[in-house]
Amino acid sequence: MKKIWILACNTVKESFRKKTTYIIVLFALIMIASSEFFAFLSSTEQYKMITDTSFAVIEFFGFLLAMFGSISAVSSEIEKRTIYTLLTKPITRTNFVLGKYLGMFFILLINFSIMAVFFVGLLHFKKIPMDSGTFKALFLIFVEILVIASISLSLATFTSDAFNIIASSFIYIIGHLTGYGRQIIGMTKNIAVKGLADMMYTILPNYQNFTIRDKVVVGIPIPWQYVIIVTGYGIMYIVIALLIGIYFFRTREI
Amino acid sequence: MKQKIWPILLLALLLFIPLGFIQNQINYETIAYDLQTNLLLMPGEAGDMVLAGFKGIAADLLWINVENYWHTGQHFKMIPLFNMVTYLQPHWILAWSLGGWHMAYNVAADVKTVQGKYYWYQQGVQYLKRGVSYNPNKYDLYFELGWTYYNKGLDYSNSVRFLKQAVMYPCPSYVRDVLAHAYEKNGEINKAMEEWQKLLKTDFKGVAKRMIYDLKTRGWATP
Repeated sequence: MKKIWILACNTVKESFRKKTTYIIVLFALIMIASSEFFAFLSSTEQYKMITDTSFAVIEFFGFLLAMFGSISAVSSEIEKRTIYTLLTKPITRTNFVLGKYLGMFFILLINFSIMAVFFVGLLHFKKIPMDSGTFKALFLIFVEILVIASISLSLATFTSDAFNIIASSFIYIIGHLTGYGRQIIGMTKNIAVKGLADMMYTILPNYQNFTIRDKVVVGIPIPWQYVIIVTGYGIMYIVIALLIGIYFFRTREI
Repeated sequence: MKQKIWPILLLALLLFIPLGFIQNQINYETIAYDLQTNLLLMPGEAGDMVLAGFKGIAADLLWINVENYWHTGQHFKMIPLFNMVTYLQPHWILAWSLGGWHMAYNVAADVKTVQGKYYWYQQGVQYLKRGVSYNPNKYDLYFELGWTYYNKGLDYSNSVRFLKQAVMYPCPSYVRDVLAHAYEKNGEINKAMEEWQKLLKTDFKGVAKRMIYDLKTRGWATP
């Protein structure tokens, strides 16, 4: 556990040395603060648009941070050849993957907290009412970002950076559409197609589960039960992604 | 000795089974708590937003176009956009109420013929009714419907029908006041009186007192 912790701390330190993280977070804060663009709208419309935009910005920039952070956490060690030194020490490849992920968890937690605090501060400043739904939506966005990070990290253990960026982005888009895809496939009578679609539906991450922000902004109450189940789904997916990452990293020749 | 690593992959694959069960439970909860979303494929930026999972932003972009059309007097162009916005976010009350109002009032005013005016009034009413079907547990759209029947259609019996529904849910005092007026216009004076009596305990006390006085002295309160 200590080895994983040391690796995680190093990953966090490494991330703060890079300018990319700061630039992404800065862009996100600028986007959230740009709510003044909506000043021409009525207060009710403004409220919805500020909240919508902020949630979307936090999620999208969180996705970028998770994807690029996870990719560079693994690939920079390989490129700089520091991984040889690491793996000759009594650090297993499993320790390496778990340590990197734990490090990513803290990086994302810090950056997400900055964006979330800024957003909540903006709502407070604009005197826009907040309820538990706002915090539930933020929490599920964070869980979604963690799932994205686990997938990107897992892919980083056995693919090139370019392929990883394309695959992670593709999974991100598809992950938001699997529900619709299943509805469409549900209309077909072909059992083989249906079975294949069901399999894909289970294997691909369903990011739509985490997307409650569209409901929160229009005042639909989100029960805690839903938040807990979706969090369980997220944790389960992270475990699966990390296991796959560990498997491929252990088979990889470095 | 080389360690076997295939059990890790097997474990990962086996975990997809409970994951499938969790997903089924989430699907059930989504239906139970009315958290489903609709997909609307459309060209342009809004379509890209939908594909990336940002339906709220897509609806907002469309809404900004609605505002633009409204301020430039292009009322007819607003109609398909209203339909898109409410398809994407059927629980956004403002989109329903403003859409219904635009059709029943502004578009109807733009049309020259009597039949055309009546057609757009009906379109507005139908649109609001559709909104009610998505949001049956809030007073807002019942009130909008009741008010449109009362003010635009002068159809007091239908107005009473929907305003009665509106006051069944938590609502501001003016909703009950409009219901009282609708009762009076519909010839149900006693019921109108009852509603204003109820309002004596609210922030509408002053208005209610005046209405009761007018009803008792003049025999009518609503001009």
